Amino acid sequence: MIDAAKIKKDFPLLNQKMNGQPLVYLDSAATSQKPQAVIDAIKDFYERHNANIHRGIYRLSEEATELYEGAREKVQKFIRAKETKEIIFTRGTTESINLVAYSWGRQNIEKGDEIIVTEMEHHSNLIPWQLLAKEKEAVLKFIPIDDEGRLKITKLDSLLNKKTRLLAITHVSNVLGVVNPLKEIITKAHSNGTRVLVDGAQAVPHLSVDVSELDCDFYAFSGHKMLGPTGIGVLHGKRELLEAMPPFMGGGEMIKEVTKEGATWNELPTKFEAGTMPIAQVVSLGTAIDYLNGIGMENIWQHEQMLIAYALEKVTAIPGVKIYGPLKPKDKGGVLSFNIGEIHPHDIASIFDEEGIAIRAGHHCAQVLHRRLGIPATVRASFYLYTDQSDIDKLIGAIKKAKQLLL
Amino acid sequence: MNTSDIYREEIIDHSKHPRNFGKIAKPDVRYKEKNPLCGDEIELFVKLDSHKKVKAVAFNGAGCVISRASASLFTEAIKGKSVRELEQLSAKDALECLGLSELTPTRQKCALLVLETLKRGLKKYQQKTK
Ligand SMILES: Cc1ncc(COP(=O)(O)O)c(C=O)c1O
Repeated sequence: MIDAAKIKKDFPLLNQKMNGQPLVYLDSAATSQKPQAVIDAIKDFYERHNANIHRGIYRLSEEATELYEGAREKVQKFIRAKETKEIIFTRGTTESINLVAYSWGRQNIEKGDEIIVTEMEHHSNLIPWQLLAKEKEAVLKFIPIDDEGRLKITKLDSLLNKKTRLLAITHVSNVLGVVNPLKEIITKAHSNGTRVLVDGAQAVPHLSVDVSELDCDFYAFSGHKMLGPTGIGVLHGKRELLEAMPPFMGGGEMIKEVTKEGATWNELPTKFEAGTMPIAQVVSLGTAIDYLNGIGMENIWQHEQMLIAYALEKVTAIPGVKIYGPLKPKDKGGVLSFNIGEIHPHDIASIFDEEGIAIRAGHHCAQVLHRRLGIPATVRASFYLYTDQSDIDKLIGAIKKAKQLLL
Repeated sequence: MNTSDIYREEIIDHSKHPRNFGKIAKPDVRYKEKNPLCGDEIELFVKLDSHKKVKAVAFNGAGCVISRASASLFTEAIKGKSVRELEQLSAKDALECLGLSELTPTRQKCALLVLETLKRGLKKYQQKTK
């Protein structure tokens, strides 16, 4: 079991006050806080190892390159990819998905082809496909959800046909917390000859991910939601696919040979890493992975299961509070979205803020989902390894205060 | 614990029982504006008299406590003002009207939606009457 109170001490930001109250940070789905080890890793890189990578002959550059490539290896092992060549560093989930849409998408999607997404997608796994579909005159289709927010998997069979080129789906919903049954979905898609891209932004930070076992074709996630810095993310792709894809961005480092007439592309993964990459961020993402491994992803998942079970029990007991997503903790991560009567989510968030509680109010970049739920916005509390029961008790207290003030 | 700096009695009263809530037939200024962040929406109607002063004003739409209370207090405050005076109203004026100096920038956007709606409505009105 995790001792969240002890873990909290590793996160300097969590030990401060907000509006005169001890800070209760319940917005980890938006971005996680950073442990001292990660903050130190960034500082240490600039104090002792900073140089541009790959191009230098001198010692310092070799060192920086080793640290950078060392982090790639950590990522590869963390998500159990087959080889480091399959790990591309990007700016985040959004860029990873856009890379696939521009490079693989433009090469493989033609007029009349079909792309399947779901009703619960974050805009970053929807807009790139809308843009591509528009450009190529392809068709975008949606797997619907039921009233508990779970995918209606049975509908998938009738959506898949010989024109379906791609299925783009989130691993864990950033609003509902639902963990989608990917294995089953990927198997179905593959037997139809359809490629699968997984948005793992809300999965990799919270549960043990094995991309080889999943057998997905692409898997995207962000560093900043898993204790790492902002500005760095990952795209995992199957080697044969990445090798056949044209570059996404042109520039330095991604080329092999350049003449006035044209160029040839570098090997994987560099072909997709044009220009100077955020080196310190990559290195400290490696440190974040070390930290997560030290705690254990299975322990983190169990801890969040305990928290969400506790929160669901407490919140469902308050009259007038409507919870979105499954009401049972099974197959649900540490995300709780709700509304209190007719109170506007912004007002709820302001009242919580006065209590030092950071939660998010709005559509959480999932407008299609909110439209399906028939509401403009929700309030979302999201948990992580440093969240403890006392944080949830304060959340309950603030819900009661909001009710009393505004209902 | 159950006190709040922002959600004072006056604010909640104006939000629950907004003044000037509704519509006006044949308004001189009519404009609908949305705050994309929270989906708050305000439709504002202004009727001018022969001296181009606000004779009647109304608003409707769905929103948070802050945007509703702000629209209620703001529409109370602009009655009798000339078009020129309306054009010179600043964000500071609108926030003073609401009496909340402690709003964060994001919440200020909710409070200022009514002013933004008025400004755009006036622009459209000026173009029309030019
Ligand atoms: C499910 C999901 N996908 C994608 C993203 C986008 O991540 P980023 O903004 O780091 O690119 C997020 C984060 O907000 C998310 O929750």
